[in-house]
Amino acid sequence: MATSPPSPPNPPPPPVPSPQETDEKRASFEREALVHLDSLYRVALRLTNNASDADDLVQETMLKAYRAWHQYEKGTNAKGWLLTILRHAFINEYRRRTRHPETVDLDTIEPFAVFGEIQEEDPQGAFFDRIVDDEVLRAIDQLPEAFRETLVLSDVEGLSYQEIAKILEVPVGTVKSRLFRARQLLQARLYDYAVSMGYIKGSPA
Amino acid sequence: MNCRECVEHLYEFLDREVTPELERDIRVHLEECPPCGEQFDFEELFLKFLRARCSSQGAPPELKRRILRELFDE
Repeated sequence: MATSPPSPPNPPPPPVPSPQETDEKRASFEREALVHLDSLYRVALRLTNNASDADDLVQETMLKAYRAWHQYEKGTNAKGWLLTILRHAFINEYRRRTRHPETVDLDTIEPFAVFGEIQEEDPQGAFFDRIVDDEVLRAIDQLPEAFRETLVLSDVEGLSYQEIAKILEVPVGTVKSRLFRARQLLQARLYDYAVSMGYIKGSPA
Repeated sequence: MNCRECVEHLYEFLDREVTPELERDIRVHLEECPPCGEQFDFEELFLKFLRARCSSQGAPPELKRRILRELFDE
């Protein structure tokens, strides 16, 4: 005699939140998540290189975060939690569409110590003052993606090595070495730019 | 601590990611070694410069309105 397979138990319907619960959820989300909107936007902009994609990515991140808000342990690291959601959304949806996966071999990028070049002429780095925001952002956007995201999380958003390692899902040692090379590479490009603009003489090639 | 060891920890030191013991050793070396001191100052200045140049940008007000509307039907 054939027995029908046991039917899966019906999941209980999701509890309908009371108006009070909805208010509390909204208040805690505003307090802990929405305050990081500017940070999320800055990171999104550097990842997508495009204001309209950054808008969409941030909006999607906030919607996902609000839906999953019960999974976030209140009072812990909301910024890290949100950035993790943002990065996953970026990898899953935007990177595939907007950019080709990176083919640069990061290990072949030679470190270049700018300080060694300018310690005679401008050891206080006064030439930095003449480089405007847009030029710096442009130089960051040209870094290889793995360098760019590490540098932005550290140097723009001020996250610790540990927090960055968690978001990027790499060991702390990798964060350190990427950060080192990202900073050196960025410095070298800004230095080249400053030389080309005549802000500093630079050393003869 | 020699110069090479000191410079090896340059960014960890500036990022406040070193142990208190290591931090003390580095400070002692920097006091005694002006070239290393200059290099650390230069890198610290670079990091401050980066942050200053990149932090002014915030989310556009329209994006914030859009998100609030989506989340809370406003």
